[in-house]
Formats: sequence, structure tokens, C-alpha cells
Amino acid sequence: MSIAATPRGYIERPRPSGLADVIDVILDKGLVIDAYVRVSLIGIEILTIDARIVVASVDTYLRFAQAVNRLDLTQSDQSEGLPELVQDMTSGGAKSKTKGALEGVKEKLTGGDDDGSDGKQKQKTRSRSRSSSSSRSSGSDGSRSRSRSKS
Amino acid sequence: MHDPGTPVYVYGVLAASDQEVVAVSGVEGADVTTVEHAGLAALISRVRADALAAAKELRAHWRVLEEASLHATVVPVRFGTVMASEQALREEFLERDVQRLRELLDKLNGRVQLIVKAEYDEERLLRDVVEASPAVAALRERVRALPGDAGYYDQIRLGELVAGEVARRREADTRLALDVLEPHAVAAREEQATSRNSAFNLAFLVDRDAEESFGIAVAGLSTTLGDRIDIRFLGPLPPYSFTDADLGAGIPAWA
Repeated sequence: MSIAATPRGYIERPRPSGLADVIDVILDKGLVIDAYVRVSLIGIEILTIDARIVVASVDTYLRFAQAVNRLDLTQSDQSEGLPELVQDMTSGGAKSKTKGALEGVKEKLTGGDDDGSDGKQKQKTRSRSRSSSSSRSSGSDGSRSRSRSKS
Repeated sequence: MHDPGTPVYVYGVLAASDQEVVAVSGVEGADVTTVEHAGLAALISRVRADALAAAKELRAHWRVLEEASLHATVVPVRFGTVMASEQALREEFLERDVQRLRELLDKLNGRVQLIVKAEYDEERLLRDVVEASPAVAALRERVRALPGDAGYYDQIRLGELVAGEVARRREADTRLALDVLEPHAVAAREEQATSRNSAFNLAFLVDRDAEESFGIAVAGLSTTLGDRIDIRFLGPLPPYSFTDADLGAGIPAWA
């Protein structure tokens, strides 16, 4: 598998990606069978909206838990990383320039993504902070700020 | 032997000759198995409950398809598809759609979906818009000079102008991305923007053999777009966005 490196270095290796990154595709795309039974899935439209939120949250929690668990507090360079990460999450002010640093922190804290199914990636963590801080998004914009978690 | 009347959850379809054991568990934690018919194999698991917890089962759906498509070409079926029984699955899907499914599998064979999403740095984007458009800059100055909501309609007009400029940029950047990436792909699809600052959200169908050159093209695109746009490159995924039969509508399709 190739790593598409750039001067900025944040083009990630494509696989694996967290569920939150691809949730729109997973929810909305795929072959539709004309005769399929929906009986078992009453309320699926509402549930899928929930799913978008819940999956993003769960991924965030998982990532946090992992990050905290793997944190080696005796090593100063790593313990410097987390406050930065937390600050980024709570301020919601993530900009592209912080990505390189976050990437590095993520690598240290999680040892990379060897299991995409946990989906503990920085992207939705950062974006979730936006949806919760929400100073930038009005009520009507809620779904959009939420969907930042996937972008 | 299970009751043939048990409802089955359908994940996807692959060529019967292509199937491997899927080790991860499916929705409701059930084992994933296949139902074969006419050279096709549907990936399924049995469901008990009357309602599935979508948030949880979505992850199962995703995992099963990820696992199954590691080495095989799987046509993903829309999340939440449950058929009444194995018999219904055979008759109303595998048998009835056999032609369509074979054609799809042929077209998708050895190919994966890659996603390239791009997002503007909002501040940078807006600054660029103001700098590039005298009309926006002038109106902005006027609005700023007015107190409170005195410039209400000017504000709306200003926002409208900016939105127009943003849309133009979005279009141009989408075009640029497609120009750079399409030559490395078999097909491309424009997906819905997933955020306010989205520049584009593109799905590509790419030969497994061409993944590397595609990745290099993405890196090149990222360099071209520079700091003003963040690119995210995701995949490979099963070809979720390419499961409809009329693959080329609007966008150059099969090579």
C-alpha cells in the first residue's frame, strides 16, 4: 500500500479508515433490493440519524480512552501532546496548520491505526468539538456541523 | 439446520467462486454466512429481533463488508436490508436480479472505491473571496461602517455575494480535482458535501492495481491546491457508490 506523501504530509494511508469517516457512504449507498423487507427496521430513518451522531460520539470516546490508556506520563514529550489535543478539541478552533502536530500526537498515543474498526481517528474528535462547542453553528446548521465529524 | 423461514440480513453479493470465510460477526453478533444461487453468493446473517439498533448494527454492517472485500469484489447492499427468508433471498433477489448482479460484479471486479474529500480553511477562503472580489470588498466596507442591524439587507446581500463566490470556487476546485484524478480511475462520482466548508466530496472507482498511482495523483492534487484546502483520502472501500446499474450518467465512466 502506498503512502501518498505530500510536503504537508497529512495525506493518510487510505486503509483503514474509521467508520465515522465514511458513515455517509455506508448509510446511504449500496444496492437496493426492490423486494426487500423493511419490517424489521421500523424507524430506520430516525435511527440512521441517531447513528450518525452516536457513531461519531462513540468513536470519539474510544479514541480518548485509547489515548489516555496508552499515555505514558513519565515521558515528557508525550505528556505535552495531550493538553494540546484537548485544547484543540475544546476550543473547536482546529485549523489545518495544527494537523501535522495532531497527526504526530496521534501516532504517539495510539501507535497508528492498526485496527480501523475502532475508528479512533483524530478527525472526528476534532470535529466533534465543533459540534459541541457550536459557537460557529446556529441551530439550523446543526446537522452540518455534526457532519463535520465525517469530513 | 436453521428454520428456512428466518429473516436474513443481507450485506452484499459476490461471485460464488470468490467467497472466503468472514471471521467478524455480523448484526446482532450473528455469524456471517453465504447463500449461493446461480454462481452468486449473498453474504448474510440471520436476524432475530423485530428491530435493529441502527447505530450499533451499522458498525457490524461496515465491518463485515470491510472484511469480506479484503480480497474479493463485493457489491454492497444498502444498510438495513432484511429479507423475509433464505428462500425469498434466492427468489426475489439472486434469481430475479441475476443478470444485473453478474454485470455489476463484472464491472466492479478487481476495483475498489476511494474517497477524496476536501475542505476549505474557512478563514482563508473568505479572505480570498474578499480580496478577489471588489464588489464583496466594497459591500463589506459599507456593512462594517453601519451600526447594529442598520445594514440588515446589505448584510444579506453581502452573504449572498460571498455564497456565490464560494460556489464558483467549489465548482472550479471540483473540476480541477476531477481533471487530475479521473485519469487514474475507472469512474467518478460526486457525493454530497458533508460540511459547510466542503470543497468537494468525490468517490472514485479504481483498479486495485492503480491504487498507488491514484494515491500519487492525490498527493499531487494536494500540492496543487496548497494550504487553502485540506484533503482527506479514504479507502479502499467496497464500491458503495458504484452499485447502480447506469454507471456513467454525467461522468465519464468505464474505460
